[in-house]
Amino acid sequence: MLKLNNIEVTYLNVIRVLHGVSLTVEDGAIIALLGANGAGKSTTLKAISGLLHVEEGEVTDGSIEWNGVRIEKKNAEQIGKLGIIQALEGRHVFEHLTSEENLMVGAHNRKDRHAVKPDLEMVYDYFPRLKDLRRNTAGYLSGGEQQMLVIGRAMMARPKLMMLDEPSLGLAPLLVEEIYDIIKRFNSEQKTSVLLVEQNVRIALNIAHNGYVMENGRVVLDGSADFLKNNEDVKEFYMGLSTLGTKKSYREVKHYKRRKRWL
Amino acid sequence: MDFNWGEFLQFTITGLSVGMVYALIALGFALIWKASSVANLALGQIVLISSWFTYSMLAQAGLPAYIGLPIVAIFALFLGWVIERFALRPLIAQPILSLIAVTLGIGYFLEGLITFIWPLSTAALPDLFPKEVIHIGSAVISQEYVWVIGICLLVFLALTMFFRYHRMGIAMRATADDQMAVQACGIPVTRVFSTSWMFACVVAAIGGVLISSIGSISHGLVETGLKAFSVVILGGLDSFIGAIVAGPIIGLAETYGGGYLTEHLWAGVRDVIPFVIIIIVMVIKPYGLFGEERIERI
Repeated sequence: MLKLNNIEVTYLNVIRVLHGVSLTVEDGAIIALLGANGAGKSTTLKAISGLLHVEEGEVTDGSIEWNGVRIEKKNAEQIGKLGIIQALEGRHVFEHLTSEENLMVGAHNRKDRHAVKPDLEMVYDYFPRLKDLRRNTAGYLSGGEQQMLVIGRAMMARPKLMMLDEPSLGLAPLLVEEIYDIIKRFNSEQKTSVLLVEQNVRIALNIAHNGYVMENGRVVLDGSADFLKNNEDVKEFYMGLSTLGTKKSYREVKHYKRRKRWL
Repeated sequence: MDFNWGEFLQFTITGLSVGMVYALIALGFALIWKASSVANLALGQIVLISSWFTYSMLAQAGLPAYIGLPIVAIFALFLGWVIERFALRPLIAQPILSLIAVTLGIGYFLEGLITFIWPLSTAALPDLFPKEVIHIGSAVISQEYVWVIGICLLVFLALTMFFRYHRMGIAMRATADDQMAVQACGIPVTRVFSTSWMFACVVAAIGGVLISSIGSISHGLVETGLKAFSVVILGGLDSFIGAIVAGPIIGLAETYGGGYLTEHLWAGVRDVIPFVIIIIVMVIKPYGLFGEERIERI
């Protein structure tokens, strides 16, 4: 179980981007972390995975606990060994490597080398398209295939917690659904917890058990996926639906913009 | 005038073997470039210091080759580790130009160290390879050239396999593509860097031993570093195949130029020809003969 207790993150010792974020990822759960650009979602993920140190950021207050052990001072390598793996935002494939080599990089730190081959087959089972492309140079794959590769690479580490940063970024709606189905299947079959950062609130809440809404470096709302889906503010500000559940027409907007209830 | 085929064959073998050694040293350059995009300007000095160290082990201490050469390999590993750990690692995430400048500084430091420890101007290694000559037609070829070519090919093969199949090799290539993503996979990039430096130094040391065994050890070996740069640039900065093809091209151009053109032109022509070739190739193929083109998705 991952627990963030009121963490603050400061970049370069002066720029504070998170002002007390708390969240919990139970074992085997899918948690969605929602919010607009600049809300601090990616920073939260990097604080957990240890990549923050690379960007001269630091957890300056609060604690991150993984199964009771504090990990906020550990680096990405140590955290990776604990079973927490982050897939970066924006399809960071290794362009000059083949697809299969990309997947093998994901398994770099595994001690159980004999289990790597079966896991490769497992990934190909989740993403059959990657099997056809195994010898292709990753840089020339399509955006959707690259996203699959990045998720597959994270799967190859056999993580206990997989953190995905906007897997829907720049993909066609049908493909987004396909990828989300696979994430859900992976979660339920392999019992891997998933922490999902997403702007596409609707699709994220469809597979998530719980969700957190972030704004300006704070968690402003949290609850079960159903609760969030039916929350008036989430509906209005993140799904573009008015209180009646119909699409809102901005042509007829005459009223003052309603204040969010959490402010 | 009859064309002297025997002479031609001799030039060819000499050029090939020298070129293969250049290619080997160039691999040392490409190894570091591939993992960390740092141009190692201390390469020539690393070649020289390993050659002198080999001299100390084999000639001065009188160790047999099967003990002395492994010690040289360990020395080279250690050298690579020290350079990476104490000179380059503190500068991680600094501008790449500072890193390159540091390698230049390391080069001069090593040069000073060399003149301090080995004040001799030249020396010869004890024979590592059998001396009997091979007769092919009218040509007389010294056997050591053939050995040198063979050893270079073996090292190429080993390195190619390493980069294609070994997980550390794959991780090195991945690091060259995307350091951030490598770290996100939980791979310690610092270890990738130090491995690449250690390997590079060993490869450079092998090159140094080979080239000083067919010639002699002298300060001129630093220039093989320069030759290796030209091989790397000609072949493409990050390409192994490129180095293997470009090395012999440079080596052959040098010996043919030296052998056939000196009497018609001027004495230094052998050192100019390789660079003329490079300039022509760079105009036509700016990535080098086999350089990786940048993959841009638009």
